[in-house]
Amino acid sequence: MERLGTLEVKNLSKKFRSRNDELTVLNDINLTVQPGEFISIIGSSGCGKTTFLRLVVGLEKGYEGEILLDGQRLNGPSLKRGVVFQDHRLLPWLSIEKNVGMGLKDAKSDESRKAIQEHLELVGLKGFEKHYPHQLSGGMSQRAAIARALVNRPGILLLDEPLGALDALTRMYMHQELERIWKQEKITMIMITHDVDEAIVLSDKIVVMSSRPGTIKKIIPVPLARPRDRASYDFVKIKEEVLEEFQLHTEHPFTYTI
Amino acid sequence: MKIQLLKNKLTGLIIPLVLYVAWDLLSRYELVPSTLMPPPKVLFETWWVMQSSGELLLNMKMSLLRVGAGFLVGASSGFLLGTAMGLWKPVEQYLNPVFNFFRQVPVVAWIPFLLLWLGIDEWFKIVFISCGAFIPMTLKTYDGIKNVPASYLEVVRVFEYGWFRLLRTVIVPSALPSIFTGLRLSLSEAWMLVIGAELVAAGEGIGNVMVIARRLFQTDVVLVGVIVIAITGFAMDRLLGLLETRFLGWHRTQNAQ
Ligand SMILES: Nc1ncnc2c1ncn2[C@@H]1O[C@H](COP(=O)(O)OP(=O)(O)O)[C@@H](O)[C@H]1O
Ligand SMILES: [Mg+2]
Repeated sequence: MERLGTLEVKNLSKKFRSRNDELTVLNDINLTVQPGEFISIIGSSGCGKTTFLRLVVGLEKGYEGEILLDGQRLNGPSLKRGVVFQDHRLLPWLSIEKNVGMGLKDAKSDESRKAIQEHLELVGLKGFEKHYPHQLSGGMSQRAAIARALVNRPGILLLDEPLGALDALTRMYMHQELERIWKQEKITMIMITHDVDEAIVLSDKIVVMSSRPGTIKKIIPVPLARPRDRASYDFVKIKEEVLEEFQLHTEHPFTYTI
Repeated sequence: MKIQLLKNKLTGLIIPLVLYVAWDLLSRYELVPSTLMPPPKVLFETWWVMQSSGELLLNMKMSLLRVGAGFLVGASSGFLLGTAMGLWKPVEQYLNPVFNFFRQVPVVAWIPFLLLWLGIDEWFKIVFISCGAFIPMTLKTYDGIKNVPASYLEVVRVFEYGWFRLLRTVIVPSALPSIFTGLRLSLSEAWMLVIGAELVAAGEGIGNVMVIARRLFQTDVVLVGVIVIAITGFAMDRLLGLLETRFLGWHRTQNAQ
């Protein structure tokens, strides 16, 4: 099955109108994401990252410019684009198993059961099928949300600060997991993050955004071999390059995240 | 854990116990005239007489039948209206203002009007109780559906659900706690109103027993009535509470966190 798609964003602008005010949140965004790429979007709070993601998912209407998937204009949300929201949004009344099965047409069929099992294993939640979301930790909930977004095999997975709420150690563990899932599923991933290290560890390209209005300031490729060594010279060089965009010149780049 | 739970339950019994002892002492030493406040012992005897003669059961049966009918009609139509207003914009726009207007009228204020239309027979009582049960059920059902978190709705938009699956997976479960609250409010309203209706209009029923007893100055019978009403109401609410725990386990445990 052909799952991957090329995402093209051309001259995208988005305004929010209130009664007597107009706020330009995104201005002239241009970005092409190749099938199977891992892209990180990094930028300060309020610069429009979530808005961009919601536009690509199809949850936000009314924009200028074009968002094309394999040359086709987007038309509302679709099973082809999975999304992991910043808050995991698992339904509290469904067991983990049922939550993960939400994206399947007939969650009871043998095929679906198999898919659910596989994806629970993929995110390391085997054995938690019958648990409810309130019985899971933050990291486990995010992993369940990732499994849910992947189970119907979307071509693109969009992640909105999926690891933002986790502690540093769990986060590093999740980086490995995400990379493994990305490789195994051969899927395009677009991830929003605040964490420069996280972006460099995972991405093929880092999109740096500036705010008011949100624009793409720079796209920084990360041509390092995987798995990446956070202490390596090249890693630190790229980190400096990213931080420079935020005017954080420093002799101790290790100590900064945004 | 179990012991703690038991302790919590027992704590709730302390004040009733104190009141009971105070009441016993007050009436035993005739600090209050026993015609106004008969001692507990007399109440037990009265209750026993009413119980064994079948008088209590017969009248309770009448009252409960009325509550049953009124609650069934009122709560189910409330559920339907609440659901319709919650799910369909046009229904909401047509009916919500009217509903809000009429619900400002205390149900008891309808009594004269209903008596004029329906007389003092069963129809009056059942319609009256239905009206009372209807309002909280409508409100809570409507509320529950209106307050389904937009974030959950977005999740299922991505999954391209049809309306039936949307209803089953998100809207109903999300609204259910509120709907259950509606049921409980509605039932307790119905139980209060049946007594009200029986106090106003003659016929069999526990409220009527009390009206007659008042005329005959049988304070003991009046008080037995009060206590039986309280216990029955309490039991009915607990029953719904148990159902709620059974069906909405996720809700309780989640909120406990
Ligand atoms: N639905 C909306 N209506 C009006 N303004 C909005 C809406 N959503 C977001 N905004 C505004 O758009 C800006 C960018 O928001 P967001 O995309 O959430 O930023 P980020 O995810 O980068 O922190 C903020 O100033 C926010 O207040
Ligand atoms: Mg955001």
